[in-house]
Amino acid sequence: MHTIVCIKQVLDPEIPPAKFKIDPEGKKVIPPPGVPPVISVFDERAVEAACRLKDKHKGKITVISMGPGKVADVIKHAIAMGADDGFVLQDPAFENLDSFGTAYVLGKAIQKIGGYDLVLCGRYSADWNNGQVGSILAEILGISVVTSACDIEAVDKKLRVKRILKDGYEVLEAPMPSLITVSGEIGLPRLPAGMRLMIASKKQIPVWKAQDIGAEPSALDKANAHLEVTGLSVPARKTECEFVTGNTPGEAADNLALKLVKLM
Amino acid sequence: MECLKEVIVSPVSATYWGIPGYVIFWVLFAVAFGLFAQRFYLLYRLMRLGKQENRFDRISERIKAMLVEVVPQWCTLKTVTRKDLAGLAHALLFWSFSLFFISYIIFIGLAGGFGLSPLIERTPFETVYFSILDIAALLVTLILIVAAIRRYVIRPPRLEPTAEAGIILVMVFSLMALHVIGVGFDHASRGVHTSWPPLGAALAGFLNQTGLSQTTLEATSRGVWWLHYLVILSFMVYIPHSKHLHILASLVNAFFKPLGQKVVLEPIPLEALEAPEGEATFGASKILDFTWKDLLDLYACAECGRCHIHCPAQLTGKTLSPREVIHHLKEHLLETGPKLLAPQAEPSSESQVDMPAKTMIGDVVTEEEIWACTTCGACQEVCPVNIEHIRKIIDLRRNLVLSQSKMPESAQVMLRNMQQRGHPWAGVQSMRLRGDWTSGLELKILAEGDNAHTLFWVGCTGALVERNVNATLSMTRVLKAAGVEFGVLGESETCCGDPARRAGYEFQFQMMAEQNIEIFKGFNIKEILTACPHCYNTIKHEYPKYGGDFKVVHYTELIADLIRQGKLKLPNELNSRLTYHDPCYLGRYNSVYHEPRRILQAIPNAKLEEMERSRDTGFCCGGGGGLMWIEEQPGTTKISQMRIEDVLKTGVETVVTACPYCLQMFEDAIEHKGVKESLKARDLVEIVDEAMKSS
Repeated sequence: MHTIVCIKQVLDPEIPPAKFKIDPEGKKVIPPPGVPPVISVFDERAVEAACRLKDKHKGKITVISMGPGKVADVIKHAIAMGADDGFVLQDPAFENLDSFGTAYVLGKAIQKIGGYDLVLCGRYSADWNNGQVGSILAEILGISVVTSACDIEAVDKKLRVKRILKDGYEVLEAPMPSLITVSGEIGLPRLPAGMRLMIASKKQIPVWKAQDIGAEPSALDKANAHLEVTGLSVPARKTECEFVTGNTPGEAADNLALKLVKLM
Repeated sequence: MECLKEVIVSPVSATYWGIPGYVIFWVLFAVAFGLFAQRFYLLYRLMRLGKQENRFDRISERIKAMLVEVVPQWCTLKTVTRKDLAGLAHALLFWSFSLFFISYIIFIGLAGGFGLSPLIERTPFETVYFSILDIAALLVTLILIVAAIRRYVIRPPRLEPTAEAGIILVMVFSLMALHVIGVGFDHASRGVHTSWPPLGAALAGFLNQTGLSQTTLEATSRGVWWLHYLVILSFMVYIPHSKHLHILASLVNAFFKPLGQKVVLEPIPLEALEAPEGEATFGASKILDFTWKDLLDLYACAECGRCHIHCPAQLTGKTLSPREVIHHLKEHLLETGPKLLAPQAEPSSESQVDMPAKTMIGDVVTEEEIWACTTCGACQEVCPVNIEHIRKIIDLRRNLVLSQSKMPESAQVMLRNMQQRGHPWAGVQSMRLRGDWTSGLELKILAEGDNAHTLFWVGCTGALVERNVNATLSMTRVLKAAGVEFGVLGESETCCGDPARRAGYEFQFQMMAEQNIEIFKGFNIKEILTACPHCYNTIKHEYPKYGGDFKVVHYTELIADLIRQGKLKLPNELNSRLTYHDPCYLGRYNSVYHEPRRILQAIPNAKLEEMERSRDTGFCCGGGGGLMWIEEQPGTTKISQMRIEDVLKTGVETVVTACPYCLQMFEDAIEHKGVKESLKARDLVEIVDEAMKSS
């Protein structure tokens, strides 16, 4: 089976909150110096999901990533985890696209790759948290979509997907090919190990520009964007510390439980 | 009497039931030697099944190192403390038994077996030699009694009261007794009346008074001689079947010990890299994934348990015991051995060999044990027979991490950080950004095209963690005050790779090493000054294998030197009682013990108190081997807290160290113990900075 995984490179979410800076005028995040960007958290889990399917059913994994700068690093990371091939989608025309524009570019690249049984995305990106690209991309590709998967099985040419709900999960079946967005509940991604780490570090990743994938300039025109960012701010962080006490450890625990219930 | 003396012949030259004694002598010898050689050959073939490793370099140096260690018994004498004199006892036993061993060759082999008794026996040489042996026999008997009492009555934790130990004690005692009894009966039956050798002569005197008949005396004398011979042969046969194999194996192990650097980790061999994907195994998952030297280590173990009582993991209640790891691996090798040798007999493919039911990782050595090791090196330092425990643990980790992807979650988080972020500290509350510490300082931050002779390599902890940045700032002030010219990498510095390597993530280490070496070469760096002993050890000893040969200096060495040259003055009085904790990777790994103490002694009124466990027996802080980030295995207490107990016993106000990991661990343990008011943890360079400041 051939799985295509769409991944994104984001600002490292592990940097100390105090170091997070934005440019409110330009409505942009200012990347802190000396901190390499990383693969978006849920996208990495999508790669993990693809690897688990490959472990079981063999096949091939192709990863694509659209973005500026050293985005090839996240492709290499996915290859180190178990992906076979990867392509970087990089063009000045791709910068600052909204979810529709992004899905359009990814769609064009996926159509160029062709011959896939499954497309995977993270449920949303760790930077903008829009959570839209997956569904729009499925629409563009004309395939079914299941969001927030915590488990994917391939059974008899069909995909059986466990989908996270607020109070549990549901199991859905989707045909191949379909698009599935992957949730954190799928579990920790594997540590890239063994030889793959070396293979990935030496791999040349091809870069596709707009014309390589046949993207129409009109579709990339910012004037046609469906989304406009009107303001950007860093939420104020407030830390309050309170010691919950009680005469016995049991009583302290009761008091803590009561406090937590109130907060929820 | 005179004529009788002529009649008496050596027991070997007599005839027994019509069979000449010589025949019996050599048949017995052949049987015993055959059994010995058979076992020995099996052990040798098993060892040869291990992976290749070259330890045949610098032969003359190796011979010298071996002799220097074994003959004067430095191997065990180095472990002698006021509380544990066993090493001294071993040395005496070794020398005494060596005398006995030589006597067996001369007086039994040459005199008996080769019929040279007329040349050897009843000579002044014999009298002198036997007199010395009497003293040796008394000494050995005394030691055996003490050893038996220790094993079966006192039972210190390092010794297991095994049956094997008992058999050997009885056997050695029999050898001593039979020697003296033999001399006694020999003298009595020949009617020799001398007072030398004292024990034998005294016994002979006693026997003469008992009124035993000449025939009885002669017959008993012969009987004792043959019994003595039989016990010697049984001893030879028993040696390779027991832990006393160490008598032979430890000698060989001393020859093959690592020269120079004490703890050597080998890179993953190239053939493993070239194997097709999915078929390659990394590290050790089966006993034969170890090298032949690792297997030789198993034979060399005498189960003395010194590693057991020095291991910080064991002492804090973890399941890991270096002694048990080695012992279990040895048992596993011997158990699976015959099966492992079988495929050589029939040329069937290796996959058809049914694998032993026990898995090495899990059944023989547990994952819990594997992840409890801090790689502090206490086990190897104290081991009298040069066993290399640490690289076995690392090989097991390599397999878990690289081939099985099985590791504690905290290890995985750390290693992911190493891989994605280039350092192990992500997610820590007080974390800084790389290069932040340089702001506001006038430093030469190396950029493309720059050249620098000396690089101050800060290390991840000193650059990223708030508490340790303080020491880094002190370091720059000290360097500037002493007029040392240096460059720093600022935000482009990454990790040296040590935590990845110790956690078994070898490829990540290798990539980091290669990348760093390229950076160093790019700036034409000749000398690297490190603040962290882990970086120090890695760059100094491990980078050369990847083509990076630089002069590497730890700051304690540099500062001690600057003080000696008068380039650094420390006028300010400290007026404080302090103790110095030896970081494992500076002390045990690199023998830097004096420099930090010399620095402290140069500070006016710094009152240095030593902890009981210091220098080469210094106790780990708990942070090495990746355990700074990997959660400590369950035990009775944390290693860092046990070390702080050591500090508290000295009653000092400050514990000084020269390693960012130790500093972190101590800050944590002091907080946990609630002794923040009375005890401070400081980096040595912070103390130097204070002593130097002009106020």
